[in-house]
Amino acid sequence: MNLDNIIAKRSKKTICRDGDLIIKLFDDDYSKSDVLNEALNQARVEETGLAIPKLREVTKVDGKWALVTDFIEGSTLTEIMRDDPGSADEYLELFVDLQMEIHSKRAPLLTKLHDKMSRKIDQTELDATTRYDLHTRLEALRAHDKVCHGDFSMGNVIISKDGDPYIIDWAHATQGNASADAARTYLLFWLKDERELAAKYMSLFSKKSDTAKQYIEKWLPVVAASQSVKGKPEERELLLSWVNVVDYE
Amino acid sequence: MERKIVDGVAALEEALAKVRRAQRVFAGFTQEEVDKIFRAAALAANKRRIPLAISAVRETGMGVMEDKVIKNAFAAEYVYNAYRDAKTCGIIEEDETAGIIKIAEPVGVVAAVIPTTNPTSTAIFKCLLCLKTRNGIIISPHPRAKRCTAEAAGIILKAAVEAGAPEGIIEWIDVPGLELTNTLMREADLILATGGPGMVKSAYSSGKPAVGVGAGNVPAVIDGSADVTLAVNSVIHSKVFDNGVICASEQSVIALESVYGRVKDEFRRRGCYILNEEETEKIRKTIIINGALNAKIVGQPARAIAKLAGIAVPESVKILIGETKSVELSEEFAHEKLSPVLALYEAADFDDALNKAERLVEDGGFGHTASIYIDEKAEKEKFSLFCSRMKACRILLNTPSSQGGIGDIYNFALTPSLTLGCGSWGGNSVSENVGVKHLLNIKTAVKRRENMLWFRAPEKTYIKRGCLDLALEEIGGPMGKKKVFVVTDKFLFNAGYTKCVTEKLEEMKIQNSVFFDVEPDPTISSAKAGAKMMASFAPDCVIALGGGSAIDAAKIMWVLYEHPDANFEDMAMRFTDIRKRVYTFPKMGLKADFVAVPTTAGTGSEVTPFAVITDDEGIKYPLADYELMPDMAVVDANLMMDAPKGLTAASGIDALTHALEAYVSVMSTDFTDALALRAIKLIFEYLPRAYENGAGDPEAREKMGNAATIAGMAFANAFLGVNHSMAHKLGGYHHLPHGIANAIMICHTLRYNSAEAPAKMGSFPQYAYPNALARYADIASSLNLEGKDDGEKLTALIEKIEELKTRIGVKKTIADYGVTEEAFLSALDKMSLDAFDDQCTGANPRYPLVEEIKEMYVNAYYGGAKNES
Repeated sequence: MNLDNIIAKRSKKTICRDGDLIIKLFDDDYSKSDVLNEALNQARVEETGLAIPKLREVTKVDGKWALVTDFIEGSTLTEIMRDDPGSADEYLELFVDLQMEIHSKRAPLLTKLHDKMSRKIDQTELDATTRYDLHTRLEALRAHDKVCHGDFSMGNVIISKDGDPYIIDWAHATQGNASADAARTYLLFWLKDERELAAKYMSLFSKKSDTAKQYIEKWLPVVAASQSVKGKPEERELLLSWVNVVDYE
Repeated sequence: MERKIVDGVAALEEALAKVRRAQRVFAGFTQEEVDKIFRAAALAANKRRIPLAISAVRETGMGVMEDKVIKNAFAAEYVYNAYRDAKTCGIIEEDETAGIIKIAEPVGVVAAVIPTTNPTSTAIFKCLLCLKTRNGIIISPHPRAKRCTAEAAGIILKAAVEAGAPEGIIEWIDVPGLELTNTLMREADLILATGGPGMVKSAYSSGKPAVGVGAGNVPAVIDGSADVTLAVNSVIHSKVFDNGVICASEQSVIALESVYGRVKDEFRRRGCYILNEEETEKIRKTIIINGALNAKIVGQPARAIAKLAGIAVPESVKILIGETKSVELSEEFAHEKLSPVLALYEAADFDDALNKAERLVEDGGFGHTASIYIDEKAEKEKFSLFCSRMKACRILLNTPSSQGGIGDIYNFALTPSLTLGCGSWGGNSVSENVGVKHLLNIKTAVKRRENMLWFRAPEKTYIKRGCLDLALEEIGGPMGKKKVFVVTDKFLFNAGYTKCVTEKLEEMKIQNSVFFDVEPDPTISSAKAGAKMMASFAPDCVIALGGGSAIDAAKIMWVLYEHPDANFEDMAMRFTDIRKRVYTFPKMGLKADFVAVPTTAGTGSEVTPFAVITDDEGIKYPLADYELMPDMAVVDANLMMDAPKGLTAASGIDALTHALEAYVSVMSTDFTDALALRAIKLIFEYLPRAYENGAGDPEAREKMGNAATIAGMAFANAFLGVNHSMAHKLGGYHHLPHGIANAIMICHTLRYNSAEAPAKMGSFPQYAYPNALARYADIASSLNLEGKDDGEKLTALIEKIEELKTRIGVKKTIADYGVTEEAFLSALDKMSLDAFDDQCTGANPRYPLVEEIKEMYVNAYYGGAKNES
């Protein structure tokens, strides 16, 4: 396996290309179960029939865990939008359609989004009262069984040379409420300071999926809390202000 | 006793067990003991109202200490006052006559979820309710207010135990967490949840009965007719109360155009701040984040919120007011704000105000509270419109809503409560202010009682041969009638019977008109023809002269004359209890009195509230209502002398069936029994003589006339039974005379009713057990028939009836009357079902199954079962 062609480096992961394959190489201290879980997620989502790069191999390279998947020749939606800002609305439309297609799938063995969020709330550094309110809020939100990507951003959509869209990076996939997934995407736009796009996205998703904006917004404190677990200092203020809300007492 | 800290599931389970044990003991306390504890607890809480208020504000950092004092005092004093004399233990209501007892029992252990906004007052409130109702209580406080809530609970527990309550009757979670709250809710017997929608939803999904309440988004409409000064100052008074954390607090003011300027001025004059456009925008972004309320503003004073938004306002400012237009949720000001921030809307007219208020209630306060300021006297209609449009469980008029919604401060009939139900609109099981009644199981002990019975007969019944003349004189004399309409049949008319009436009327110079076109089995069309004539003649008295058909037809004409729009289908609707029937029979006698003069001895219609009419398709409508009772019955045997033999037999045997059925009816009374027995005796004695001697035996004729009317009075009150049900349908399907149809079925019915273990018995409180056999034996005894037991007496009675039937020429079976087997069998199923559905079935002592009716019909056709007896 040729690891010379490094195409991206993330914290704790290195992504290399070897011909038709992509090798995602995990650092030594990466938890084995997380690696295997990502592989399993990818396999489960593959079985739903969604257009995603196929998982070819789970292996060890130089003592490091690695996932080998198909390489999709093309550009991410982020890149395409940057190069062709005039068609931004069309791409956003495609983006929302793809997300809704994901939500139309079922994968009964995926981790449940509700459970994951509940765990994340426990892992935050928020005070007990806020965690209590967040748990209460989460409990009142409906647990559905739609496939949720969990990290659905424009950077995770690749348009192949033939113009076919592929969705990548299924590490955070769960099954649950589509509004939670939409809230997460909305938050990702905000974290990249793309507020206008965030607002457009929210309106479009709400309209296309016939979901009230308020219903999606109810998830924001929960997804913000979950994001805060990553502990990025630059995100802290925004996330806390989103978390620190009450329904009423 | 040292209390153990509840900080985990194991400790909670232990606490639950402890409260449960205490509650079991508490459940045996008397009202007196409970009231003593209730009083001591209320006093202790009231004494500590200020320290508790200080603790609450210090711990939660929200609200106003001085206002929390009022809330604590309210929870202790007002709630005590409201229930001090309320009966909550054991028998709370007893009505010996009606036979009903209501017994109050505790529900057990109550899980109480307490919010941060009212952490001490709600705790006091719920503890006091539980003590008054002999319930145990475990409190789940909000983590932000856990210490002050526990403090309040501890004060009440101590006072209660000192006053005699079992140790450990009140418990609380010291280290709150959702898992503990959920465990508590799963294991308690009832949940009193006050909290966010998440909490209320958890409560309802725990599987335990829950009294949960929810959010408010109270609009206050200020109408053009309102006292603006009172309105604005009431809103301010309410909105600043505890910095606006009460869920019944106003969130928006909708002022009509005509007073909008004055409303604004008054707000300003009293220290409120009207935000400019830029400031309004800043407040928008401060109070609501992503559609949810910013936790930092809850229960904060106006100046602090302004500071957070970067707006400079005077320190003393009371309320921040944003002038807004949209009532959609995309408008931040349209939300519940739990702080002294108010939206102000201008309404073009009252309708616009209603639309806005309706939408605001839907936005976030479904089922909670709505308020209006209006001229109460002059604008009643607007108020009722407001009441009908708002989906709110409390609608307040000219009242500050925070203090008004919790009751007993601005209105003394509204239950004082800190838990306000929002009904199904708010996803709640309760729509009122929650009180002790929601924490009690009320047992209803019900004793068997017999309902009132009655005896009704015409006001006047005249008897004796030749009495007709005198009776008619009364019509012209004391009754003062001027126009009489006579209804009779062609035969009687041609035979000159009407002359006895008309000549006397003419002599008295009473105008009269005769309708003589009544057919046997009178139809609606002939009744309509008669009614038409009657309407154009406009009588003040109707005289029916003839047999059952003429009297029934006249009754129907009378109904049509008095109530031309009457619907026979409605009138004929079958009922189970004449007092509970759905249809209310129209009032009769408004235009004319009704006099019945029978010319046969049988029907009894002259003294009954019944009439049967047939429509053009042959469907019979049996009408029954005491409105149909004649005002006067004239039993003059002179008119019966020449009745032909067949008619004498058929009508006589009909009268016998009336008496037999009335005697065994589930509704029989001592009054009807006496009449029935007498009628039976007379019929056995005089029917054969009347049949054989005709006009030659005036005594027998007269006795038979009396017997028929007496039997009529019996069944006018005790009603009939399955014999008549079967006879009605047999007659209808196979064209047998009514009396004959009855006669064929009598003995089958007697044997059927006599079963000591019937499949089903008739239901009527007076009818205690199947006793028709004994009742028939009574009849036999009254006729001096012998038998060593009831069974033998029944046999003797049946034999006597069969003997009578033979003597007066009644044939044995349905087949004997020429009904072909094919015709009989093909109609049998339908006829049986129809007979089951007949109005007469309900009073039968044995509740018949359709199959059983069918069997009796079959026996009656072939002459079967009688040989078996």
